[in-house]
Amino acid sequence: MQKIMIIEDDPAVRSELTLLLDNEGYRPLPATDFDTITEQAAKERPDLILLDIGLPGRDGFMLCAALRKTVPAPIIFITSRDSGSDEVRALSLGGDDYITKPYSVPVLLARIKSVLRRSGGASEPADALDAAGLHLSLTKGTLTAQGQTVELTRNEIQILACLMEHAGQIVSRADLIDALWDNQIYIDDNTLSVNMTRLRGKLTGLGLPDLIKTRRGMGYQL
Amino acid sequence: MTFGKFLSDRLGRILLQLICFAAAALFLASSGTQTGIIAILFLVLLPVFLTVHITDYLRLRSRMTELENILENLDKKYLFAECVPAADRLYERCLFDLMRRAGRAMIGAVSDAEAAQREYREYVESWVHEIKAPLTAARLICRQLDDSSRRKLDFELAQIEAHIERALFYARAESPERDCVIRQTGLSEIVSQAVENHRSLLIQSGIRIETRELDRQVFTDKKWAVFILGQLLQNSARYRSGDPVITIAAESYGKQIRLTVRDNGIGIPAHELPRVFDRGFTGTNGRTRGGATGMGLYLCKRLSTFLDLDISLTSQEGEGTCVTLLFPVRENLTKT
Repeated sequence: MQKIMIIEDDPAVRSELTLLLDNEGYRPLPATDFDTITEQAAKERPDLILLDIGLPGRDGFMLCAALRKTVPAPIIFITSRDSGSDEVRALSLGGDDYITKPYSVPVLLARIKSVLRRSGGASEPADALDAAGLHLSLTKGTLTAQGQTVELTRNEIQILACLMEHAGQIVSRADLIDALWDNQIYIDDNTLSVNMTRLRGKLTGLGLPDLIKTRRGMGYQL
Repeated sequence: MTFGKFLSDRLGRILLQLICFAAAALFLASSGTQTGIIAILFLVLLPVFLTVHITDYLRLRSRMTELENILENLDKKYLFAECVPAADRLYERCLFDLMRRAGRAMIGAVSDAEAAQREYREYVESWVHEIKAPLTAARLICRQLDDSSRRKLDFELAQIEAHIERALFYARAESPERDCVIRQTGLSEIVSQAVENHRSLLIQSGIRIETRELDRQVFTDKKWAVFILGQLLQNSARYRSGDPVITIAAESYGKQIRLTVRDNGIGIPAHELPRVFDRGFTGTNGRTRGGATGMGLYLCKRLSTFLDLDISLTSQEGEGTCVTLLFPVRENLTKT
């Protein structure tokens, strides 16, 4: 389990962040004593450090420089100051990423994931998905089932990938739209319906007509 | 200052001189002086008086030109009285002394006002940073709610953030040089960041966003450009009509890059178009729908001037609105 050290002075944010990271399967290490941060980091050896720049009585930039010397872990700055010069300074001092408050939770998690991946802690994202007898190649954009292969459009791939990642669970339309927006496909409810119909058409062509079930008022299920 | 004005100013003195001469001539004539002698006396005195008046005029004119040049070249015009070279005339010296005293009082008042404004700006900025901590906590807490409450609360939090952001940029626009960093930035990055910032509003409004040819580089300040684009997206979402679509497209325009944000919303009445960038202008749409601040486009316009960004808006009532941003080419940028 990857250890993430949380250096944040606001108690509410700190405890919520701890809870969130815990739920996401990381091991959070919230720091409360800001005078011995470097010693704590040296002892705990976290895989990633979330560092709030605006700590009371302590300059986050100086702290970052000190941390850089003692631990190899990547550092993500979290700050409520969002001036351009701060960002440059943070990154030049060895920060690996820079997030401004108030951040949205998915963005924070995505940044954590990508920084961990870059530092070699986590595996690369899969380029193919397998679920419910389907094989979806994300790089080739093809779907294989029962020995046949069809090509999918960008939207269809993302919809299917989202369903396959949650195979067996119900995925709401709102979640599907959210997932598509994450991948810079900005569609509305109607377009989702159109794409869903097309995707089902292609699945029928493969001999799997009712693979995606509609759960009325709840969403879709693979 | 023209010669005519000078003459009319001097008219009293010239008249007095003429009357004095006439009285002297009358006295001389009655005391038995020959008319010829009086005429000669007049011809001698006339050039003397004329020369005095003409040199006076020339001196005054050159002094005025000098003063006007000084004023012209001054950056802060109210410092004029402090900058003029010493006058050799008593009257002018006294006058400038008075002006300097008045000027100093005003300079004091101006710098007090500037200091107060700066303090206020600093307060707004620090307030904005303070408020972000509880907002972040609220966002995180929000995650534990059930799906529909979470989405609703996320939407409201995003609205709060949008209002705060406007206040922050309003304060920043007062001294842009402190914050504005112009760098090469990918247009698609700016667009996806702006969309991400207003994601909950856009999704809740059921909007579809189409992007075209955004794979270009522009020279601008990313945060400011994201803010400007964010205001446009919020407007498009707020004033949407059925089946809303926002098209964000880029194209080359000579050496410049032109970004258009087009929606199929309710549009703006033609007679209101010239005022859309005015401060506090909300228009019919804003009044009927409510929630308009009249600040969004005003701020866009203000920030655009600092970025050398040309912003313009066209709209057809009932058809939609199109905002065009013309990004500058690198060579034309004066501030870096």
